[in-house]
Formats: sequence, structure tokens, C-alpha cells
Amino acid sequence: MTVVFQLKHLYKRFGDNVIYEDMNLEIEEGETFTIIGGSGMGKSVCLKLMIGLLPYEGGHVLFKGHEVGDMNREQLRELRRHVSMVFQAGALFDSMSVLENVTYALREHTKMSDEEMLERAKECLDMVGLGYDPDIINRMPAGLSGGMRKRVALARSIAIKPEVILYDEPTTGLDPANINRIGKMIMKLQKELKVTSIVVTHDMPIAFECSDRIAMLWDRKFPYVGNREEIKHNPAEEVRDFIEGRYDENKAE
Amino acid sequence: MLSWIESIGKAIRDGVEWAGAIATMFLQAIGSGLRRPLGIYDIFYQIVALGVRSLPLATLMGVFVGMALTWQFGEALMGFGAKNAVGSAAALALVRELVPTIMALTVGAKIATGMTAELGSMKVSEQIDAIASLGADPVKKLIWPRLAAATLALPLLCVYGNVLALGGGAVIADAIFDVPAGYFYETYVDELYPMDYISGLVKAICFGMLVGIIGCFQGFQTKFGTEAVGIATTNTVVATSVSIIIMDFILTMIFLPVG
Repeated sequence: MTVVFQLKHLYKRFGDNVIYEDMNLEIEEGETFTIIGGSGMGKSVCLKLMIGLLPYEGGHVLFKGHEVGDMNREQLRELRRHVSMVFQAGALFDSMSVLENVTYALREHTKMSDEEMLERAKECLDMVGLGYDPDIINRMPAGLSGGMRKRVALARSIAIKPEVILYDEPTTGLDPANINRIGKMIMKLQKELKVTSIVVTHDMPIAFECSDRIAMLWDRKFPYVGNREEIKHNPAEEVRDFIEGRYDENKAE
Repeated sequence: MLSWIESIGKAIRDGVEWAGAIATMFLQAIGSGLRRPLGIYDIFYQIVALGVRSLPLATLMGVFVGMALTWQFGEALMGFGAKNAVGSAAALALVRELVPTIMALTVGAKIATGMTAELGSMKVSEQIDAIASLGADPVKKLIWPRLAAATLALPLLCVYGNVLALGGGAVIADAIFDVPAGYFYETYVDELYPMDYISGLVKAICFGMLVGIIGCFQGFQTKFGTEAVGIATTNTVVATSVSIIIMDFILTMIFLPVG
């Protein structure tokens, strides 16, 4: 298996707050890799480091062997053509319609005509279960429900046909039906598009349903990494506490 | 005593760091803005959003500044029996100083706070990160059009304000001091040299740049949560006002010997 992302001896801090210290992680091509851990420990930071949205103070973040921290503007642009991110609250652009949101990356990276972009948007919206509805594609994000916003965000991230999709808490704030729908969508996209998925979540049922491997963030690194069965039956106290809902944020310090 | 000195030192250091960060962002915005495509559509969109929508406020400010200043000068000059010179007296103060400065302090502050609130909300909702993650440059997409638009819009609003201030002054001169509006206009225009217009416009351009970059910078620096947007917006009002006053003093020092 080819390693897509490799994080080696990573050190990251915000002011005096150390997020990662000697952190190591490897993500293989084509797998669905889930990162779990308590709130505020830096799970989302991990995704932002991978896509070059945050700098790091030490160690290495390698995408297919290339150091993300050393990339110039053009190299970062190229990286983001291959790696896209679905943000926690969707992060749809308020001033743009659904169609403009979905085709944003196409306008940045390709020379497609308006018709071609519309076709691609239709495909993506279809793939995330929204279908082509002129009423929806011309709507502004403020007029969408939480579940629809997440699905539009997902459609926006797959429009450019990325190799890797980073999901930042894709099910947060959704009702059970939408949580199931998003979970199924992650699996469907991985199956149909053969993408590598890296999912940050608190939602253990989704983590166990979607993941090939799971990593738990603890004490500024990932000491527990394994397939879902290994994590499900891991005897370590902190893993059991997290999975069984007895997790104490203060103990993690 | 020591802590007092320490806090002064910290305030100075923070101020220098803030100015340095603003200058860095300004250079980044110019650098990315001058790369093709120039984003002309985005700039014009922002000129409409920032400038055209500020016309009611600019109208109010222009007319009332002209009227108030002419009234003050008229009262003072009447004591010397020189009320006919009210046009000459008001012209320099309005064109060189008051219209650009008051326009920047009111309309400029409105523009800057609008930018901070908009960009701050985008920052909080991760839209700025989303722009970057989709392969676009947030500086080019968000800062450059606003900076360019503010730099272009403020001088235009200043020219508009000058015309209205002249009109407002003429009304007061005629109605209160019995100085005919036509005579007020002639003495007003006769008093002005090209350098007076240039100094007013250069001030407005510099104020526009300040307004644009401070508004964007504060928006990009917004921390987490909706409360942070409010704090950033308040800081923008203070930062814009203080910067405009200091810049005005510097430009006055430069232009007075020239004029």
C-alpha cells in the first residue's frame, strides 16, 4: 500500500499550548482512516496541517513524500487539487448560491465552460443525494437545512475529483437520520471514487461503521492506531473510557 | 512605577507589532493583487458595495460639514466686517482638511467596520480556510478587491463631498450672512490652487488604503466565536480613527510646505 500522508515527529503549538509533540501517523492510499479523541485536543488541527492551512514548528508532514511545510504557493495549490476538505459547519460561502459553491474549485483549477461545470455540479449533487433541483442549486446557503449544507459541502469537495477527502466532524449537529446518511455517503464515495478518506469524529458508531483504521489522539500523539476491531477491543483505559463515554477531558492534559 | 513603565513598553511593542503585521499584509495584498487576473469585476463589485452604498452618509456629511464650517467662519469674519471673505476662508479648510478627514472618519470607519464584520464572520465560520482549501488565495480573493475598492472609493467620495460642502456653504453664506451664493462660489474657487485639490485627494487615497487594510486585517485576525467579531469590529473603529488622524498629521506636514 502506498502511503499518502506521513506525519513524522510532528511538533505543533499555539502560543504556550502544545498540541502535538513527537506525533507520528501514516495514512495509506484508498483507506478510510478515522481520528477520534476529546474536544480541543487538536483533531481538526491535524487535518489543517495535512492540507497546509496551518504551519508547524517541528517534524514533517509529507504528502506522497513531499514536505507540505516547504511547499510554495503553486505547490500548495496543486496539493489542494488532490486533497479537499469538508469543514465542520460546511463553511459554504454565504454570498454564493449552491451552484456557485459547488463549482468554486472548478473555476479555480480548470478551464471548464459554464455548461460543463453545471453538468459536473449535477453529478456531484446527485452523488451526495441532493439530485438536480433548480430550486436547490439557486438557493443561498442560508436557505438550507444543516444536513443539506453538509451535503452541499461534500459535493463542493468532490467536484474537483480529489484523491483524498478530509472530513472535519461531518456528523456534528445533525439528527440521527442525517448522521446515517452522511456515514453512508462517506462509504459510497470511497467505494465509487476510490478516494482516501480521513475522518475526524466523536461519533463512535460512524467511526466503527466507516473506518478501515482508527487512531485515537491522546497526550499530544496517536498511541492507539489499529483497525476497527483492534480499537473496539483495545483494553487501554483511555480507549475504553472514550468508546464507552466515560472520557474525562481533564485527564487528557 | 515599574509595572506602569512595563505596560507602556508593552503597549508600544504591541503597536509596533500590529503596524508591522498590517504592513506585511498590505505588501502581500499588493503582491497578489498585481498578479493576473487582476480581479477587476471583484473590485467594481466592492466599489458598489462599499462606495455607492455609502453615498447617503457621504451626502449628509458633505452638506453639513460645509454648512457648519461656513457658519463658524461667517460669524468670526462678521466681527471684523469681512463676511464677504467667508468663501475664501472656508475653501482651504474644507478642501485640504475637513472633507477628506471627516469623510474618512465617518464613511471610512463605516466601510472598515463592514469589512471586519464580514471577514470576521467568514473567519469564524471557516470560510476563509475553505477558500484556501479549494486552491484559491484568500488574500487575492478577499483583501485585494476590498483594499483596491476602498482606495478608489474614498477619493471619489471626497470629490463628491467637496462639491456638496461647497453647496452647503453657499446656502449658509446666502441665507445667513447675505453673501450671494455666486460670489461665495467665485471666492471659494479663486482661493484654491491645484495643489490644494491634490493634497486633499492624496489624503483621501491614503485614508482609503488605511481603511481597506485595517478593515481586512482586523477581520482576518478575528479569534473564535461570534463575540470575537464584535470585539474585532470595535477595535477596527479605534484603529481606523487613530490611524487616520496620525496619517492626516503626517500628510499635512508634507503638504503644507509644498502648498
